[in-house]
Amino acid sequence: MHIMEGFLPAGHAIGWILVSAPVVAYGVYSLGKKVKKHPEYRMLLGVAAAFTFILSALKIPSVSGSSSHPTGTGFGALLFGPTAMAPIGLVVLLFQALLLAHGGITTLGANVFSMAIVGPFVAYGVFRLARMVRLPFGLAIFLATCSANLMTYLTTSAQLALAFPDPAGGFVASFVKFAAIFAFTQLPLAIIEGLLSVLIFNALARFNPQELRQMNLLQAPEAQP
Amino acid sequence: MRIERFSHQSAWRHVAPSAKGIFTLSGLCAAFLAASVAAAAGVALTFAFLTLAVARIAWRSYLLILAPALFFLVLSAFSIALSITWGESWRDVSLSFPAEQLKQATLVCTRSLACLCSLLFLPLTTPLGDLMALLRRLRTPELLIDIMVLGYRSLFVFAQVVSATRTAQIARLGYINTQRALRSLGILIAHTTLHLWQRAEQLHAAAQARSGEGPLRFADQTFPHAGRDGLIALLAGASLNIVVVIAG
Repeated sequence: MHIMEGFLPAGHAIGWILVSAPVVAYGVYSLGKKVKKHPEYRMLLGVAAAFTFILSALKIPSVSGSSSHPTGTGFGALLFGPTAMAPIGLVVLLFQALLLAHGGITTLGANVFSMAIVGPFVAYGVFRLARMVRLPFGLAIFLATCSANLMTYLTTSAQLALAFPDPAGGFVASFVKFAAIFAFTQLPLAIIEGLLSVLIFNALARFNPQELRQMNLLQAPEAQP
Repeated sequence: MRIERFSHQSAWRHVAPSAKGIFTLSGLCAAFLAASVAAAAGVALTFAFLTLAVARIAWRSYLLILAPALFFLVLSAFSIALSITWGESWRDVSLSFPAEQLKQATLVCTRSLACLCSLLFLPLTTPLGDLMALLRRLRTPELLIDIMVLGYRSLFVFAQVVSATRTAQIARLGYINTQRALRSLGILIAHTTLHLWQRAEQLHAAAQARSGEGPLRFADQTFPHAGRDGLIALLAGASLNIVVVIAG
């Protein structure tokens, strides 16, 4: 759920850039260290950015009869880790703004915060928590990607509510308003993205369990023959 | 990807990207400085005119590019204009469109349109490769540039892989209903992920075979009139901002 170019007031646009910048900077720093240790990772990051961009352009069926697209943040965070998703997300959001007129430059900070920081960290945290309490692999993937999508949408609603508080009800009324309006598309979308991610990881576990094991996503007995 | 195609055909393709970047930034500034709907609309029209007439982009294509963004803009403006008030019980909710919020929604909508027109001017006249070269000159971290360069070059490969796989799936009735569509999409993404790993390994092996282990560098296009173009863009951008401030 992107905030459109020029939609946020100047102060908010700058504020979100300042909030997101340190996380992206840390992501670049930690990835830099990783690339020094494993040079092959550089290529993987580049193609991962292209893949996330393509993923966000794929249409998925929606309950309302229309179609929407997956955010890919939860999926990406589980594959590449939440810190890697901040710089990758920045690049993907920049490509989306420049190549698809989706999102924008002035709202890049806010969109990076909701989609490339909050979403991936929530996905990663929920997945690890779910595996810690020994939930099945599929359910853990569903909960992680579904909650990443939901938190991304709630964060965007909060960002919009902060920028445009309701004159009568303030931030809370405005947040409820934005969340309610976008819930029609976002709630079914979060569930669909969760189900879709389970299908993807099941296919990955079937065809290429080695990579999933290397990423600590899958333990040996879970790999299907 | 329509935007990228137009950028290569644009009449302003050979104007220095730094100049176009300066002018776009001044357009974004002007949109935020605009205190009235008329001033913001003026900025939007200026950039739309420049993109259509001077950079020679067909207006139908321009509208097609703008259409999805405009849909989201209308939806977001509706959200700002709407006011929800609760009574004593949570069921006692009243919806209204107060004049003050309608005014704010109109201004935000026009400002956003002005920003969108300013932003579109840049990618519609400048290929992404030139913009990445500009970012490199502006000392963006090498790793980010590498991700951009590789990501941009891989985009077209993956788009082709996804398109070919999807066509094959459609031919096998893979998208005939919602359930099959979801399953087909899941398999498509999983297989593309495997392709991604293989592609990354092949790229790394190819780079190593040529002793390439550092950042990826390509010969950038040179713009001999960059200084002159930049000065013109700076003057034009400053003038636009002054006019917007005076117009209010």
